[in-house]
Amino acid sequence: MKTLRLEFADTMSEVGQCDPRLVVMVGDISHGILQGFAKACPGRYYNIGICEPTIVNMAAGLNKVGLVPVVHTIAPFITERAYEQIKLDFGYQHLSGNIVSVGGSFDYAQLGCSHHCYTDVSLLCHLKRATVTIPGSPVEFNTLFKKLYATDGIHYYRLPERPHGIEFAASDLVPGRGIRLREGSDLTIATIAPQLSNALAAAERLAASGLSAELLYFPMVKPFDQELLRASLGKTKRLLVVEELSAHDGLLNLCLRAAIGLPGFSVRHLALQDFLHGYGTHEELSERAGFSPQGIAKSAHDLCSSP
Amino acid sequence: MLSDRDLALKSLQYRLQTLELIHSAGAGHTGGGLSCLDILNVLYNRILRVSPETFGDAARDRYVQSKGHAVEALYVVLADRGFFPFSDLETVCHYESDYVGHPTRKIPGIEQNTGALGHGLPICVGMALAARMDRTGSRVFTLLGDGEIAEGSNWEAAMAGAHYKLSNLTAIVDCNTLQISGHTSQVMNSEPLDEKFRAFGWGVRVVDGHDLAALTEALSGPAEADKPTAVIARTIKGRGVSFMENVAKWHHGVPSDAELAQARTEIAAAIAALKGGAL
Ligand SMILES: [Mg+2]
Repeated sequence: MKTLRLEFADTMSEVGQCDPRLVVMVGDISHGILQGFAKACPGRYYNIGICEPTIVNMAAGLNKVGLVPVVHTIAPFITERAYEQIKLDFGYQHLSGNIVSVGGSFDYAQLGCSHHCYTDVSLLCHLKRATVTIPGSPVEFNTLFKKLYATDGIHYYRLPERPHGIEFAASDLVPGRGIRLREGSDLTIATIAPQLSNALAAAERLAASGLSAELLYFPMVKPFDQELLRASLGKTKRLLVVEELSAHDGLLNLCLRAAIGLPGFSVRHLALQDFLHGYGTHEELSERAGFSPQGIAKSAHDLCSSP
Repeated sequence: MLSDRDLALKSLQYRLQTLELIHSAGAGHTGGGLSCLDILNVLYNRILRVSPETFGDAARDRYVQSKGHAVEALYVVLADRGFFPFSDLETVCHYESDYVGHPTRKIPGIEQNTGALGHGLPICVGMALAARMDRTGSRVFTLLGDGEIAEGSNWEAAMAGAHYKLSNLTAIVDCNTLQISGHTSQVMNSEPLDEKFRAFGWGVRVVDGHDLAALTEALSGPAEADKPTAVIARTIKGRGVSFMENVAKWHHGVPSDAELAQARTEIAAAIAALKGGAL
């Protein structure tokens, strides 16, 4: 499957050639692959360098005079570092634009935890008028970006390094809607990219051991598909959330808020409890955080065997 | 103190060890490591009053590598100075190793975790201010990249360093003229850096960042009264390996077996020339 980063570059070329307002600004990242856009849309590509707060400020300025900015660099630097710029210059000023990150969670595992980012999704969810998309495959980014990018709002897209490998049709992808990949009755597994592949493998493993898992996938978490979650949890009464995000505020929080008022249900949570120090590949760190098919299946068994 | 010739040999030895480390780890920042190796060599072998034995002393000199991505070069120099055995470096990029792709304080000899750019200089302003308040006499050094200098936090710190008259603070800028995606002058031009630092109230020295004698002089000379010192080191990214010099892709390029072999040949020839020339 094509990487999300390459799809980002191709989508910029596609949209840029139809919409003369689109401007792409990067912080010394993805420069090579965006040369197609730079050539197709002369004067609308800027590599601003390593100064993320200023990139966000400049993008707000572009929108203020009518252009549609897309800013792009590594997740911790464009969200955590430049959060005040996002919050005030887009939020408070009621301006609109697009933020596309790579290197969320521990995608840059080998560079150590200065390059990890677990809180970007939470930070952006706090902002009024924000949308938060976590596309796990090229069609998800291409479809949702085209539906959102020119609308009023602060649109955040977190691109995982590794696509989940599961094919969706463009018609499956509706802003604010989740997708039910498997029907089940014993428990609900709610997940986001890129851990969908592990969650799906776990659901298959559970089926083999007699547990029927309903699998919900959320390409967007803001707006969140509360209806889908409520309908599923109302049926299964058991919820396992698998998210490659900080345990302190992410998908679990959204699911619990969606579930307020439902009669008795039980919950398990697989998420990043704390910073993962020390080196490891993405697969090794995933395994350590419990995101393997066996780790997810183990949590599901635990959830279903507790009273 | 090492002789000039022995110091020059160290630079060549460090280059080879850095390349071997990146090759065996299968990852690392090659170009920027080679551009700052002579600076690290002079710092650790001639300037810094710090050793494995004195690393816990309040009066030690501090070094913070703000351009943290050039960590492999730092690992090699710290191992050579005895902060940890060279064999530790066999674990670089292994699961659960503390030797990750940016400096962390889990590694003996490393003062500060870095990796996100634009943090080293402001932290050093705080450290230099504290050293002055405590009257420990310790000096604080930091190394910045020329791409990194675009982060605005550096310029806020430049103002603060001059405002508080921190003559015990030295910022070295490794001006190798390149960053990930190309020439710094084309991405975000920061020149003339000497005039900028001077305008911010710093004492400024511009040196050839591969001239060990010039670096020694620039880093050991007394500071201008009540001013922090900026050393603008003109360097070559990928210095010392012909096919890596001034080529942006070697920012985080990893040499193949054949490329490592060629680099070895070139560095061996330089070592032989140096030894021959000195006889
Ligand atoms: Mg540079």
